[in-house]
Order: sequence, then C-alpha cells, then structure tokens
Amino acid sequence: MDAHKDNSPTAQDSQTDLPRNRTQAVRDLKRRFMRNDILFSALFFLAMLAAPLFPDVKGWMLSQASLVIIYIIAAMGVLVLVGFTGLVSVGHGGFLAIGAYTSALLTLHLNVDLVVGIVAGMAMAGLIGAVLALIFLRLSGAFMAIGTLGFAFFVGTILNNVPFFQGRDGILLDANHVLGIEIGDHGFYYVSTICLVLVTLFVFALVNSGTGRAFMALRDAEKAAMASGVNRLKYRTLAFTLSAAITGIAGALNAHVVNYVSAEVFADIWYSVDILMAVVVGGSTVIFGPFLGGFFVVMLPFFFEQLADFSFILKGVVLILVLRFAPAGIMELLVRPLKNARRRRLRKIGGSMAAEEAE
Amino acid sequence: MLGQQILSGLATGSLYALTAIAVVVVFRNTRTINLAQGDFAMIGAFLGIIFLKDWGLNYFAMLLLVVASCMFLGAFVERVIMRPVADSDWLTLFTTTIGVYYILHGFAGWIWGRDTKAFPVSFDPTPVELFGALVSKGHLYNMGIALLIGGVLWWFFTKTKQGIAMRAVTDDPETAHLMGIPVKFIVTLTWCMAGAIAGFIGVLMAPIIYVSPEMMDEILIKGYVAAVFGGLYSFRGAVIGALMIGVAENLAGGYLGSHYKTSVAFIMIVVLLAFRPQGLMGIQQRREI
Amino acid sequence: MNEHLRCEGIRVSFGGVVACDDISLTVEKGKIIGLIGPNGAGKTTLFNVLTRFQPYESGSVFHDGENIDALRPHEMVHRGLARTFQNINLFKDQTTLRNIMTGGHSLMGDPLQAMLWTPSARQKEREIEDRALEIAETLNLTSELENEVGNLPYGYQKRVELGRALASKPSILLLDEPVAGCNDDETAELQEIIRKVNTELGVSVLLVEHDMKMVMKVCDYIYVINFGSNLAQGTPEEIRKDPEVIKAYLGEEEHV
Repeated sequence: MDAHKDNSPTAQDSQTDLPRNRTQAVRDLKRRFMRNDILFSALFFLAMLAAPLFPDVKGWMLSQASLVIIYIIAAMGVLVLVGFTGLVSVGHGGFLAIGAYTSALLTLHLNVDLVVGIVAGMAMAGLIGAVLALIFLRLSGAFMAIGTLGFAFFVGTILNNVPFFQGRDGILLDANHVLGIEIGDHGFYYVSTICLVLVTLFVFALVNSGTGRAFMALRDAEKAAMASGVNRLKYRTLAFTLSAAITGIAGALNAHVVNYVSAEVFADIWYSVDILMAVVVGGSTVIFGPFLGGFFVVMLPFFFEQLADFSFILKGVVLILVLRFAPAGIMELLVRPLKNARRRRLRKIGGSMAAEEAE
Repeated sequence: MLGQQILSGLATGSLYALTAIAVVVVFRNTRTINLAQGDFAMIGAFLGIIFLKDWGLNYFAMLLLVVASCMFLGAFVERVIMRPVADSDWLTLFTTTIGVYYILHGFAGWIWGRDTKAFPVSFDPTPVELFGALVSKGHLYNMGIALLIGGVLWWFFTKTKQGIAMRAVTDDPETAHLMGIPVKFIVTLTWCMAGAIAGFIGVLMAPIIYVSPEMMDEILIKGYVAAVFGGLYSFRGAVIGALMIGVAENLAGGYLGSHYKTSVAFIMIVVLLAFRPQGLMGIQQRREI
Repeated sequence: MNEHLRCEGIRVSFGGVVACDDISLTVEKGKIIGLIGPNGAGKTTLFNVLTRFQPYESGSVFHDGENIDALRPHEMVHRGLARTFQNINLFKDQTTLRNIMTGGHSLMGDPLQAMLWTPSARQKEREIEDRALEIAETLNLTSELENEVGNLPYGYQKRVELGRALASKPSILLLDEPVAGCNDDETAELQEIIRKVNTELGVSVLLVEHDMKMVMKVCDYIYVINFGSNLAQGTPEEIRKDPEVIKAYLGEEEHV
C-alpha cells in the first residue's frame, strides 16, 4: 500500500485540501466529540456522587436510588448482549440471582467484605454464563430466548427447593462493611455508584474496541464477520460471559441493598423480563439507554405504590408505544438529533459526495 | 405405580401440549413468540368464574362463552397491538407481547385482585381404572378435551380451506399473498385460534391450580419449552415434547420428590438442545428467526 | 510453477444434484486467475469450497502446499486468504471506516486485551485504523469514511467490500463477481484497482466473474467450468479460441 501513497491524489485535490489533511481533520473532530461525551458523562457521574450531600436527602431515598442503579447495571449486562451482539436473553434474572446468592452466602458463612462479595458474584455469574453459553449459543434467535427463560425458571426452582438456599424464608444478612468499615445507606449508594461508573467505563471501552467491533460485526452481518476472521463461537461466548458477569455485579449489590435475599424475589422469572424491558425501553444501541430504562422500570411501581396493578398496565402500554414509535428506545430518540448533526459535520469535513448532495 | 405416574403425567402433559400448540400456531404464522398466551387463559378462567357464579350459567354454556371471549381477546390484541408492528424483527414482536402480558396481568389484578380464587367447578379426584392403572376422573376429562381439541385442529389444518391456506402462509407468505390468500385475515384467525385454545386451557386448569393473575406463568413456560422441544414449527413435535415433559415431571415427582418436579423441563430442554439445536422435529432457520 | 492455492477433485452435491464434480484448479502466486462458466456451472459453489464456507464430500484444498480441509471459515483470513461476497455483504449501519477496520480483525490479537485498551492493544488498534485509511485512499473512499455504508451507491459498496477484504493484509484475494451489477465506469474502476492490488502489493487473485470482457482483460490464466466439471483452462487467448468454451457459451447472452 505504501508504494503508491504519494502518487494517488485525484484531480479534485488542491494543495490545501489534500485527503490526508481532511482525514486528520475528521480524526480531530471525532476525538473532540468523544471528549465531549466523556466530559458530559463525568459531570453526570459527579452529580450522582454529589447528590447525597443535599440536606433533604434521606436514607430511604438513597436505597431507592441504589435499587435504580442496580437495575441499570443489570440492564448494562443485557445491553452488551442484545444491543451490541444481537443475541437475546430473557434469563438474566438467573444471573442476577446467582450473583446475589453467591455474595449473600459468602457473607453469611465467611463474613466477607462487600467488595469481595461483589467480585465473587461477578465471577460466579460469569463462570456459569460461560458454561451456559456453550449450550445457548448453538441456538438461533427465538430458541435462545426461550432457552434462557427456561434457565431463569430453573434457577428459581433450585432457590425455592434446595434447603441450602433457604427458599422463601430467605437469608438475612448483617450490615454491610467495606474494608472493615460498616456502611449505611449513604455508603452503599456510593458503592453502587462506583460500580456503575466502572461498568459504564468498561462497556464504553468494550464498544469502542476491536472486540466490540467484532461483536457488532456478528450482529450486523454474520457471514461478513466470519470472512473477516471473527470466530463466531468464541466472540459470542465472550459476549455472553461478560454480559452475565456484569449482571452478576448487579445481583451481588441487590443482595446487600436490603441485606436480605429470598426466593420470593429472585425466583421470579419476570425479573428477567423486567431487565430486558429496561433495555428495550431505554435504548439498546446507546450506552446511556439502560440508565433511562432502569429508572423507568424501578420508579414506575414506586410512584404507583398503592396501585401496583395500574403500574403494570402503564408499563405494558409504555412498552408497546415505545416499540411502535421508537423501536430503538427512548434514549436513542433523544440523542438522535445530536448524533445526526455530528454525522453531518463529519461527512461534510470528510468531503462526502452524499453529504454534498443532501445539502 | 409406574403406570399410574405415566398416566397422570400424560394428563398434565396434554394441557402443556395445548399451550404448546397455541405457541406454535402463532409462531409459525407471525414469527411471534407470544408471551401473553398464558394470560389469555388466565382471563378466561376469571371470566369462567363470573359466568358460573354471577350469571348462573351451566358448565357448557360457560365453556362456550369463555372460548368465544378469548377468541375475541386474541383478535383484539392482534388488530390493535400486533398489526402495527407486524413487519418488525422478532425481538420487537416478542417484547410487544411482553407489553400485552403486563397489561392483561395488571388488568386482572386490578379488577379481580391478587389473591387466589377457587373455581366453582371442582376437580373430580374419583379414581377410575384405565389400562390397569388408576387415574382421576378430572384428569381423564382434561385428557379427553385435549384430545378432542387436538383432533379438531388436525382436521382444520388438513381438511379445511382456511387451514390449508394457513399452512401456505407459514411456508411462504409472499407467494401466499400473490395466490390471493388473505394473509392478514389468516393472521387474525391465527390469534383467534390461540385465544380459543387458551380459553379451553383456562377452564380446564382452573379447578386444578385455582385462579389468580399468576396462575398460568408456570404452565406457559412448560408450553414454551415443549414448543421449542419440538422445534417451534412442528405441531407433532410440540405435542410429543409436552407429553414427554408431563411424564418425566411426574416420574421425577414420584421418585425424586416433588421439589425437583419443575426443574425437569429445563434439564430436558438443555440435554435435547445440546444435541439437536433445531429441536426434536425442527428445521433450523427455515426462515430467518 | 509456484502454487498458492489449489483444489483437487472437489465434489459437492445438494440433495442428489451435483454442483461440483471432480473439479481441480490452481492459483499461482502473484497471478490473477479467472474462474468462469455459464450460469449454474457451480462457480460460486466452488468458490465457497475454496473459502471453506461450503462443506464438500470429497477432494482437498491446499494453501501453500498445506492441506486446509479442516480449517473453518474464520480461520482463512488468519492464513492470508480474504474473500468478498457475490451479493454485497457489509455492516450496513456502520461507517465505511468501521467496515474496513472490521476487515482488519485478524490483526487485532487478543480480544481481552483489546477491550481493556492495554497499551499494546491500542498500538494495534492504531495500526488497523491507519491501514484502513490507506486502503480507503487507494480505493478512492476517503471522502466517505464517515458515511454509513447503507447510504452509499452500489459501486462504492463494492469497493468498501474489497477494502474490508484488503484490510486483513491478505496474500491471496478471492473475489466473487466483483463487478456484478456495476455500470461501465464502475467496472473500469474496479478492474484498475484489482490490477493495482495485484501488481503493487503482489497479492494473488482468484476472480469468479460473469463479465467476460473484464475477465479477458485482467486475468493471466482462466479456468472454465461447466455442469460442475472442468471444461477448459488456459491463457485468455487460448480460452477465446477454445471450441468447447464457445459451444458452452452459445445461447448465453455474453458471447466470447
């Protein structure tokens, strides 16, 4: 390729407008966009960390906020799978439960630190995810959806019936401690927020890496991905494992947010459906999609506490409307104008013919 | 003992089979995994209580009305909710039915409350001898109805014009449309059928498991697993899968303890799919799904 | 003779219909080899055998003298064999740059390092990007780097696909009807590019093509198959005069 680098400019290029310069300009602009995104996200997370400093904030608000964060993290796990790899799981509640019980049992029997519990929950969910991937990934679309749903159901049955997990009576845990220091609602909120920041950072890095490119290649055109050298089984297994591990973090946090786990909560397969819904409503192609979706899924029943059934109906109606009018999710709808504007600018600077035609 | 376990397994299995058939019908014709299938039956069971208690109807009038109402419900869901998104990818279709699930669930809880209700008709546990094994009258009745519905469906798909047209739509919707088959009407009919089957299931299940918004959740999962077991396209596969799950479950319940009964379906599907990813009688990726 | 890719006695059948029956061909190093034949002759099937997308009943494929029967499709690129598809097969919602960079997947290395942005992975990522930009320049795609491929005209998409294949630094390029559906200008441009890739980068090329004029112009050596079997082989001059070939193409719209 190097041989002709110097003699390839086409007629349209003048001295001041070499393609090379243009490419550099495009690169710079892209870098600037990315810097803006990072800056905005950093401000957002700083605001989240600063929120408990307001005088009116009560402990219960923070644990409610922690619950939202837990859902967001769980949905991030599904996002990696549904949004970026094009695989559908309706069984992530199972991984949530695995994370929760791993951490809860370790805390109960070995009295481990919260941080250790979270890491263990993540590892266990990831491990089981990797094993299950070998079965589920041979299935196509709808088969996989039902297979994973069956998995969540299976986990629920085990939790309900194997005495070790203490079924519906549940396991009551002592107060959380991090690095030997006991933490309350405030401390827990910070722990969950930090987990969320780390997970978001990771997903961002993943999506913008060659690995994420391989995931998306498999999502968009499987054959072309294979022709590019993407090992389908390897990358799908990786995606499934990462996805399960992220949801495992959420599970571990979920066990400690109320210091209690029971089959009543974790055996419910509709937990899985809720997580999937958070992704679909929020937006499956945008990293911040699950933020909106998680908030929606947790806060809707909260606002309609007295009218639980009404919140169910509302949930269903919103889901149907979103799928009808904004199939890529609400967040995608919100950021679309910005995205399009950026694309237009990039195209224009790049000198795209299609852009000129559109102007 | 063994014969008895198998027989009552077949009885439960036949109800899974009906659910599985409804799942397969809808999937074949609309690419939709209908998560709200169980809720059609749940609504049917609640309506059954109303028809029997408040309206004082007799059993068969109630059954007829429930089936008709569920058919209407199915058609309504298709026309109002599913049709606008009919051309989307299967994930959108699937999640839309989740929305329907939520709505029906919330609706039932709102109107009729969350606690379980007894169905006015009780399950008849009187044992009857059949092939040397004892089986309750209630189970026998359920099996009989399931067999009857299965027979009617078989007749519908092989002998009637609509049934044959429906199969043509499954095989190749575009050609079917060109041939003058009213595809949209067939799709509505599909959902009517799913509703009608659900009506029967609701009335048959209600005496066994009591009536509540959550009553069908477990059976629905079994129905799905059976449908996948059979390959999602095959009625025969779905029925065989459902009966196998019913029997295996009952045997596990009898010999391992009832705790492990419900895990059997999952273990079976994992074992099967590990060896045959396309299901028992499936044709993998016959259409992009 | 310096062989690069070779197949021997390939046989493929679909439910009783034999698509390839005992076909053999050799791609020489640094040459452009054409594979032609009337419609339904089994060209694409053979092509998919060579790229390992199609299983075969008997016969063997060799790359650099080594048997590669056991390789899976995604392993081909890692050995330096890149392919394109007859019907454009691209990541339509992604930009041209991302499409070409995906083609460089085989240069990425360990996926775990890549997703954690380790220094060595970032270095590789930069190399893949630089390479993609160079390829875009060669293919006159620089202006469309940030455009989604789905928005591009057909001829551009064909070039993006070629770019995706080139991004893997292949030593042999297998092209399935690269100019099908292109107008004369686009065909001429692609023809020029293929020749450039061959002469300047020393990449061997196997070309399955329907467009006779183009095949005759760019290929060094041509194989003709018909009804799933070898019919003739030789230089474009020899093929042009071969009575068997003329007979096989009689009735086809494109006469030789």
